Amino acid sequence: MTIDDLYRILRADHIQAQGIVDTVEYPLVVLDAQLRVQAASRSFFETFRVDSFDTVGKPFYELGNGQWDIPELRRLLGEVIPRSTAVIDYRVDHDFPGLGPRTMLVTARVLQTPGNASSSLLLSLIDATRRIQRDMARDILSGELKHRINNLMAVTQAIARRTRVEGRTAAEYREDLLGRLQSLSEAHVLTFGEADEARLSTLVDRILAPYRDRHAIVIEHDGDPALGSDRLLTLGLVLHELATNAAKYGALSVPGGRVHLGWKVDRDTRVLRLDWSEAGGPPVGKPSAPGYGTELIQSAVAYSLGGRAEQRFTAGGLETELTFPLAPLPEPTP
Amino acid sequence: MEKSILIVEDEFLVALDLKEMLEADGWRVIGPAASVKSAIELLEGETPTVALLDVQLGKEMSTRVAETLQHLEIPFVFTSAYSSPHLAGHGALAKSPRMEKPIDEKRLLALLARLAGA
Repeated sequence: MTIDDLYRILRADHIQAQGIVDTVEYPLVVLDAQLRVQAASRSFFETFRVDSFDTVGKPFYELGNGQWDIPELRRLLGEVIPRSTAVIDYRVDHDFPGLGPRTMLVTARVLQTPGNASSSLLLSLIDATRRIQRDMARDILSGELKHRINNLMAVTQAIARRTRVEGRTAAEYREDLLGRLQSLSEAHVLTFGEADEARLSTLVDRILAPYRDRHAIVIEHDGDPALGSDRLLTLGLVLHELATNAAKYGALSVPGGRVHLGWKVDRDTRVLRLDWSEAGGPPVGKPSAPGYGTELIQSAVAYSLGGRAEQRFTAGGLETELTFPLAPLPEPTP
Repeated sequence: MEKSILIVEDEFLVALDLKEMLEADGWRVIGPAASVKSAIELLEGETPTVALLDVQLGKEMSTRVAETLQHLEIPFVFTSAYSSPHLAGHGALAKSPRMEKPIDEKRLLALLARLAGA
C-alpha cells in the first residue's frame, strides 16, 4: 500500500483508516499544521512507550517529556510543511529519554485536504538502530573475511613456491602440493567451525584421517587444549608433514609399522609437549640436507608457536618432539 | 653497496618465502621478525637499507615499528591483507607505499629497488 492509498482511506473513513494504520509495523503519526498529534498508530504507542491520552492533541515536540524536541527534526519539519515537499528516510541520531541512543529514519509527507486550506503531516518513524548495528557488524565480518582470504592466498602462494621441485616429476610435485593444501583446508574448516576454538584431538583426527584406515597410529593424550586459528593452521601443516613423510619413507610405508602420537599439557606452565614416535619402519638415516618437511617443522614451531621441535633418527624410526607454550606469547614491553 | 632488508611478517610460511625471494634477488635479509618486539630489537642491532612491514602481526598492529623506521629514516613498504586504509596508520605513515597480500613478486622487487635507490 502506498502512502497515497493510505491518504485516500484516511480521507474516506476514519475508523477503517485507523485499523489499517494500526497494522503497519512502523510507528506512524499524523500531525496538524501546528504539529499537534491528530492520530498515531498502535506501533507508535508501543515503540515510544506512551499512551493515546498522553499523545493525541498534544504538540509533537512535547511528547514523552520532549523526547522528539530535537533541533534537526524541528528544522526538518519546519521546512517540510511550508514547502510541501516530502522527506524520505532522514536520519536522526538522538538519545531518547527512556529508550537510550537510537537512530531513527524519519519519513515525512504533507497530506493536503481538498476543499480545506489546512494540511496535515504524515510521519513515519523507523527505529533503524538495530539494522544499522547489523550492517556495521556485517561490514566488519566481511572485512575480516577478506583479510583471512588474502592471508590464505599468501600462504598458499608460499606453499606452492616452497614445495620442492628439484629432482621431482611434475606429478610428484603436484601430489606434495595437494597434500599440503589439503592439510591447510582441514585446519581452516576448524577455524570456521561452530565453536570459537577447536580442540587439538579434532585437528589430529582430521589431518590423520587419510592414514588411519590402513595403518596403526596410536593416539594417547593427557589434556585436550583448544587452539586458536593460527596454531591450528601451523599444527595442521606440521602433523601433515609428519604423516606424509612417515607414509613415504617411515613407519607408515611398510606393513607392521606403527606410529605413537601422544601429547601432554603441563598444568603449571601450560606448555604442550607432543611426541611422534615411529617404530617398525625401514631404517632411516638423518637426511643429508634438511628437506622441506624437516625445515618446515622446525621453523613453524619456532616461528609460529614460539616453541621448538627436536627430531631424532633412531634405529626404530623417526622421533619428533614438539614443545610450545599454550598461553599467549608474552606481550611486548612498551 | 650491500643492500639489506628487514622483514617483519608473522606468518612463517610467507616470511620464509619472502626471505628466499629477496635473497635470490641479492638482498641481505635481516629477520624475519614475527612481532613488534623482535623487529625493534633487530633495529637496535643494525640499520637496514629498507624494510618490509606487515601491518598486522597476530593481534598487534605494527605501527610502532613503522614509527621507529620513520624516525631512523629507513624507507619501508607496508604489506597488508586488509584493504582498508585506516590500518596503515596515519599522517606520514600513510604515505609509505603499500602492497596488498598476496604479494606480486615482480612488483615488490621493483618497488624495493626503487626505495633502495632513492
